[in-house]
Amino acid sequence: MRSVSRRFGETVALDGVDFEARPGEIHALLGANGAGKTTLMRILAGLDSPDAGTVEVFGQRIEHFEPGPIRALGVALVQQHFTLVPTLTASENLVLARPEGALLPPGRTAGARVRRLVEQFGLEVRDGVPASQLSVGERQRLEILRALDADAKILLLDEPTAVLTDVEAERLLGVARALADQGRALVVITHRLAEVEACDRVTVLREGIEAISDGAVGGYTRADLASAMIGTDTSGTITARTTRRTEAGPVCLRVRDVSLGRVSSLSLDIGEGEIVGIAGVDGNGQSELEAALSGRSAAESGEVSISGESIAAGDPRSRRAQGLAYIPSDRYSWGLIGPMDLSDNLELGRVLPIRPNRPARHKAARPSLDHWDVRTAGPHAKTSSLSGGNAQKLVLARELDEHPSAVLACYPTRGLDPEAADTVATRLVAAAEAGCAVLWIGAELDELLAVSDRIEVLYDGTLFGPYLPPFDRAAIGLAMAGDAADRARTATGGEPGPP
Amino acid sequence: MTDSDTRQPAPSVTPSPKSTWPPKLDGWLDAVARRATAEGILSSILVPLVSALAALVVGGVLIAIDGVNPLSVYGAILQGVFTKSRGFSYTATVATPLVLIGVGYALAYRARVFTIGGEGQYLVGAVAGTAVVTAGGVGDLPRVVLIVVGLGAAIVAGALWGGLAGVLANRFGASIVISTLMLSFIGDSLLQWAVRDGIRDPDSYNANSRPISAAALPSFFGQKTHLGFLFALVLVPIAWWLIRRHRWGFRIDARGHNPGTLNANEFSSARVTLSVLVVAGGLAGLAGMVETTGVNVRLGQEASVGYGWDAIIVALIGRLHPLGVLVAGLGMAGLTIGFESAQRQFELPSSLVSLITAFVIIFVVWGDAIAARWKESR
Repeated sequence: MRSVSRRFGETVALDGVDFEARPGEIHALLGANGAGKTTLMRILAGLDSPDAGTVEVFGQRIEHFEPGPIRALGVALVQQHFTLVPTLTASENLVLARPEGALLPPGRTAGARVRRLVEQFGLEVRDGVPASQLSVGERQRLEILRALDADAKILLLDEPTAVLTDVEAERLLGVARALADQGRALVVITHRLAEVEACDRVTVLREGIEAISDGAVGGYTRADLASAMIGTDTSGTITARTTRRTEAGPVCLRVRDVSLGRVSSLSLDIGEGEIVGIAGVDGNGQSELEAALSGRSAAESGEVSISGESIAAGDPRSRRAQGLAYIPSDRYSWGLIGPMDLSDNLELGRVLPIRPNRPARHKAARPSLDHWDVRTAGPHAKTSSLSGGNAQKLVLARELDEHPSAVLACYPTRGLDPEAADTVATRLVAAAEAGCAVLWIGAELDELLAVSDRIEVLYDGTLFGPYLPPFDRAAIGLAMAGDAADRARTATGGEPGPP
Repeated sequence: MTDSDTRQPAPSVTPSPKSTWPPKLDGWLDAVARRATAEGILSSILVPLVSALAALVVGGVLIAIDGVNPLSVYGAILQGVFTKSRGFSYTATVATPLVLIGVGYALAYRARVFTIGGEGQYLVGAVAGTAVVTAGGVGDLPRVVLIVVGLGAAIVAGALWGGLAGVLANRFGASIVISTLMLSFIGDSLLQWAVRDGIRDPDSYNANSRPISAAALPSFFGQKTHLGFLFALVLVPIAWWLIRRHRWGFRIDARGHNPGTLNANEFSSARVTLSVLVVAGGLAGLAGMVETTGVNVRLGQEASVGYGWDAIIVALIGRLHPLGVLVAGLGMAGLTIGFESAQRQFELPSSLVSLITAFVIIFVVWGDAIAARWKESR
C-alpha cells in the first residue's frame, strides 16, 4: 500500500500511509482508538476504497475495491466482530462461505473438510454444535479456518486477542507464527504491547499518520512504542486547567468491588471537587463501568454509593435525587429523545405527575436553555434537530442545572467540534470547582491530561494507577497498552503475558 | 477524535435495536406505529381519509363485478346509518367496543408495545363479569351495584390477562405480539369451557350462561343504544388528557420514542410496558362486559365476534390518538351497520365489509410509507 489516504467528511482517517506485508512475517499494526488501523485493513480487504494512493497485492494493482475479487487474490480479513452464522455448525459455516456446486454436500463430506483443516493447521474447533455455543476462542479459530479454507495468503486479523483469555491469546499468536512459517503474510491489529513483541515488524499509526513505519520489532523498546502510539505533543483541543487540587476533599462518590462483565471487582473513591479521569483503550470495560455506575444495569456484585447512600440500579429518578448526574457515552441512545421537544428532554428525571400545559413548559425551559447556551429555534424545537454540540449542551443543562454532588461523564466530548468540546469541558471543570465529584471516562488522553486531578487507567476491566500531576504521559501510555498489567502478573508470580 | 469514533458508538451493554438483522417483526411494527403518529396534516388526516376512499373504490369495483351498481349500494349504506331511525343508535352500539379496545391499543402502540390481545381480554372480561353477576345469591342486590361489580370484575380480569403478557415479556423476554395472540386463543377456549360447563345455565338446552338481565345496562339517554357508549365518549377525553398532561402519558410516548433514554433518566421502561398492557387489557375486559350486558341477554359460545381484532385497525386508522380512534370507530361501525341493510336489499356477500376494512388498513400502511418517503426526500 502506497501513500493511502481516506477521509470521512472532514475527518482524516488515513493520511498518506505506506504499508507492506511480506510472506513469512507477522506485521503488527499498533495504534490507539481511531488511529486508522481498521480503516487501513478494510481498504486492503476491499471493504472500503481509498481517496488517494495505490494498493498492490502480489504485484497486481487494485483498481476496484470490492471484497470478492480481492479475496480471490488471497486476502482474508478476520473482523473484530464475528461474522459466523450463529445457528449453523462449523462445517455448515464453511460450506456457506465457499459452496462447492449448487447442491449442499452431505454432512459427512462437510465434516471431513473441517477435520482436514483442523488437522492441517492445528486450530481446534468442535463441529456439530451451532456456532453460538462455541467458546469465543473457538469461534475465532473457526473464522481463521474459514479464511484458510479459501487459501488465504495474506491474513488480516483485526484485534484478534481483544476477546480472548491470556492463554487463548498466547495460543493464537503461536498459530499465527506457524502460519507465517508456511509462507503466509500476517497482519495483526492490536493495541497491546505484549502482542507486538510476538511479531516481526511493527507499524504504529497515530491519527492517520505513521508514527513508526515498518520497523523491526526488536529495534524498539516498549516505551518507544507506547509514546509513538499516544504521541508526545500535548496538542489537545481542550484548555488545560490552570490550577489542580493538591488534596482531595471528603469522599463523595464511592465505588466498591463492582463487577459487571469485563469489569472485575473495581473500587474507586472520588472526593468532592475532584476530577478523576479514566484513561484506556475502548473495550477494556468502559461500557460496563458506565452501565453499572449510572444504574442502567445492575452490577453483578459490589456497591456504588454517593455521600454514603447506596445507588439502586434501574431507578434513575432516585439516582438524580441522590445527586448523581449522568452524561452518557451515547447521548442519542441513553441521553435524549430525538422526536420530543427540548423542554420534554429537560424534564426527564423530574417530570411532575400532572404536567403544566405546553406554553408553560416551554416558558420554564427557556432560562435553562439560555444559561447553557443551547442554540436552537426555541424550547418547542425537536431535539433531533440539534447539532451534536447543542445536543450535548442540552444534556449538560438537564444534568448539571440542579447542582449535583457527583457527575459521571462518559466520553463527554465525543463527536463534538473543538469549540463545543472545549465548552463542555469548561462546564464540567466549573462543576468540579463548585465542589462536585467528577468521574470522566475518556478516550483521548490529551483531554484527560488537561482536566484531571488524578488519572486511573482501565485495562482489561481493572484500574491501574493512580497517576498524579504532573502527569507522566509515557507511563500512562504504557499502562493503557497493558504494560502495567503484565508487570502485575509477573510480580504476583502468575503467567507472564504472551512472549 | 477521528471519524471512526463518531461513527461507531462504544460497544453497549444494552444491545441497540438497530443492530439486529434480519429486521424483527417488532421493528416493522415500530415503523408502522411511528409513521401513524407522524406530525402534519398529511399523516394525521389525509392518509386515513384517502385510504378509506380508495378502499371504498376497490369495494365498489368488487360490487360492480357482482352485477350491482356500487353507487346505489353506498347510497343505501348512508341511508341505513343516517335516515333509518335506529341507524345511528346501532352504529354507536357497534362503535362502543371498538373505541374502548381501540383507545387501549392506541396507548400501547404509542409506547411501541405491540399487543394484539384485545379479543382474548374482551372474552375473559365478559366471562369474569358474567360469572360474578350470575353467581348464586347476588340476584337480590340492587341493579346499580350488580352493574358496577360486574364491570369491575371484567376490568380486573382483562387487566390480569393483559398484564400476564407484560410479565412474560419483562421476565422472560417473550414477544408481546406472540404471547397476546396466544392468550387470545386461550381466552376463547376459556369462554367455550365457561358457557358449556363453568357458568352454564343448568336449565338451558343451549350452551350459555344464565340470563344477565339483573345487571343489564340502561339505555343511553333513551336512545336505542346502551350506556356503554357513554363510557367510550368519556374515555376519549380522559385518554387525550393523560397523553398531553399526565406523567404516565409522557412516559408512554418517551418509551415509544426511546426506551433506552427513558430507562436511564426517568423510569423503568419495563414498568411502562406492564402498565400499558394492564390498562389496555382492562379496557378490553370492560368492552367485553359492556357488550354482554348492553346488547345480549346471556353470554354464549358465539361471543367472540372479532371486536378485539377490528379495534387494531381502528387504532391505526385513528392515528393512535383517542379522538382519531373515536372517529375511526364510528366510521367502521357505520360501514358495518349500513352494509347490513344494504346487503339484504342487494343480496351481496357479507364478507364485503371485512374486505373493504382490510383494504383500508393496507392503504393506510402503504400511504404512511409513501408519506414518510416523500417527507424524507424533501
